[in-house]
Amino acid sequence: MFRHDSPDEAAFRSEVRAWVEANLPATLRGRTNRPPPAELMPWYHALSRKGWIAPHWPKEYGGMGATLNQQIIMTEELARAGAPHLPAQGLHHIGPILIEFGTAAQKARHLPPIIDGSVIWAQGYSEPGAGSDLASVATRATLDGDKFVVSGQKIWTTWGHHSQWMFALVRTDPQAQPRHAGISFLLVDLASPGIRVRPIRTIADDDEFSEVFFDDVAVPAENLVGKLNDGWRIANALLGHERLGTSNPQFALIALERIKTIARTTGIMADPAFRDRLAAASIDVTTLAALFNHAVELTNRARSPGPEASIIKIYGSELLQSLNDLLLEAAGSDAALAPPLMTAHGRVEVSAPFLQVRRATIYGGSSEIQRNIVARRVLNLPQ
Amino acid sequence: MDLHLTSEQALLRDSAAKFAAAAGAKVARASRGRGLAPARLREAGALGWLGMLVPAAADGAGLGLTELALVLEQAGRTLVCEPIGLAAIAAAALAQGHAPHPMLPRLMRGDALVVPALQETAHDLPMLLTRADGDDRAPRLTGRKLSVCADGADGFLVSAESRDGTALYYVARGASGVSLATTPSVDGRGLATLTLDGAPADLVPARQSSRGAVAALTDLALIALSAELLGVMEGAQEMTFAYLRLRKQFGKPIGSFQALQHKAVDIYIKTETTRSLIYQVAAANDPYRIDPALAVAVKAKASENALAVTQACIQLHGAIGFTDEHDVGLYLKRAMLLSSLCGNAAAQRRRYAELADSGA
Repeated sequence: MFRHDSPDEAAFRSEVRAWVEANLPATLRGRTNRPPPAELMPWYHALSRKGWIAPHWPKEYGGMGATLNQQIIMTEELARAGAPHLPAQGLHHIGPILIEFGTAAQKARHLPPIIDGSVIWAQGYSEPGAGSDLASVATRATLDGDKFVVSGQKIWTTWGHHSQWMFALVRTDPQAQPRHAGISFLLVDLASPGIRVRPIRTIADDDEFSEVFFDDVAVPAENLVGKLNDGWRIANALLGHERLGTSNPQFALIALERIKTIARTTGIMADPAFRDRLAAASIDVTTLAALFNHAVELTNRARSPGPEASIIKIYGSELLQSLNDLLLEAAGSDAALAPPLMTAHGRVEVSAPFLQVRRATIYGGSSEIQRNIVARRVLNLPQ
Repeated sequence: MDLHLTSEQALLRDSAAKFAAAAGAKVARASRGRGLAPARLREAGALGWLGMLVPAAADGAGLGLTELALVLEQAGRTLVCEPIGLAAIAAAALAQGHAPHPMLPRLMRGDALVVPALQETAHDLPMLLTRADGDDRAPRLTGRKLSVCADGADGFLVSAESRDGTALYYVARGASGVSLATTPSVDGRGLATLTLDGAPADLVPARQSSRGAVAALTDLALIALSAELLGVMEGAQEMTFAYLRLRKQFGKPIGSFQALQHKAVDIYIKTETTRSLIYQVAAANDPYRIDPALAVAVKAKASENALAVTQACIQLHGAIGFTDEHDVGLYLKRAMLLSSLCGNAAAQRRRYAELADSGA
């Protein structure tokens, strides 16, 4: 809409498009939820063999060393083809963290299995008593000789029951003030004795999340990332980058197409009130594209947008929700049906994405927490 | 988020900020009902702003939409009363042909003011009943235009239907058959109904690359009004955030209360998203050939957000906010005026839907 591919970028885009068209199985296209590993991982492995699994990683670690624009092109082309979401915690979170903060041994051991897809990672941040107030994590890790002994509970662990490893924020100094100064960053093998994982079914009928219980789990001291009690800084170091990736307007554009297809099928497209709301929604998607492109421009010029990038997460996630409100409205009395609707333009999911998108304004820092961040760190409003 | 500007663009913005700083609420208040200040218009001309879109071949600066938006944003921030944006886009329109219109040099200097007169109904901008009779060398216009910012104007750019389709015409204010009926606007300016009864006019040719002179001017007007609305939002927001840090109740600054903080962030999000939209569209479009769906999207968003932001700013000020003694109300009134011109948010959304239907 706003960004135009350079000739090299255009060539890269057609290469990606052609390859995805030829290699992405039809059964994996247009899925609103993340398919189970048995279905999904062959696609992950195919991308890996092609050398495209980690566009944003440096080449020396098995990545593509792609420019930000190339990364955006890949996201756009994958979304266009209806490609499913991949497990992201290894590629987007612990991978980049280890590249920046890990020891040589940690990199050598953990990065290759992320690239080849043999290990799936889970993020162990939230706890029952530490959701929005993440600095109050209580899962205890006590250093005992050459190992930590870990006890406690993590929750909202994406794909916890499909993962082999977890990176976790653990409390190593219960007396520390401020509280985040007593938190460390630990890598935990989920096959260790004393770990129990329970999947959690969501209102969208998927089991994307789980809770993980630790009962005196022994974790080798060499699995500490960074220094003892420096975990908070490490966990926060890469948050801004992640926010930019998940706010790509492509997902909103797909939601908009879904609305239009349903509205034509049910006939509501002719209604002036509906047309007004659809125009407003389309204009909002254009606005998100502008906001995203603006942030990309700044990042490309090494001027990271900083805490104001929070507004992209707020705007993007709230827009996805209002788009799904409109989808429900367009579906009329079919809105509450569980299976996808059959239309002249193919199957269209309605209730599933509506229910799934509830989580968009909650995970990764709720909209309310994001507003607190902006109020304090951008607007400098008093405490 | 910061804009990525060239050093020339940053200089232009700074000089516009300096010019605008001499305006402000006090000046806006004093000039209510007095019309515009010719000296300030000439100053804008001397700074090169009125000819900024005019191609270098016609002695203009040949700049783009980003530069236009940078200047108008500053004008909106400090409630500048002179219609710099309308004058600059009128100059761009008059410079389109092989031989620029004779009014152009005076217009670029700020010695004369020409403004667009395109609108014929309160809601439906594209409707066109004004007709041009006679041949192209001596056309005569008959029709009626609404919501014309006629304060101090020496002439108008009027859209009309001719034998050859929609075209743009220059009509002098003093020409025979021209009459104006002005009604005061809430912000102390005036909006006029322009009635043309066989008024003599000059055909304004279209630039070859454009989609027609009327379309080009309409889209320019939408961008110009939106950039000024962005500035209005910024001015109101700055004033409000300062108040939140200063005003104390219950023994602490009211800006420390979460309910007000979140409202402040919503204001900030509306302003920032409007800014990104305007400047992304500005950077991606030629002034004489703006993607009509994007121009409409920009005006829809700026109109809607400016009204929402200025209203929320009054709410955050409490009772003082709804008095005429405080300046925040001036921003709401300016937002009311600019958002209503050339089609409000709802009118833009309707156009957007029509453009989507036609596959544009």
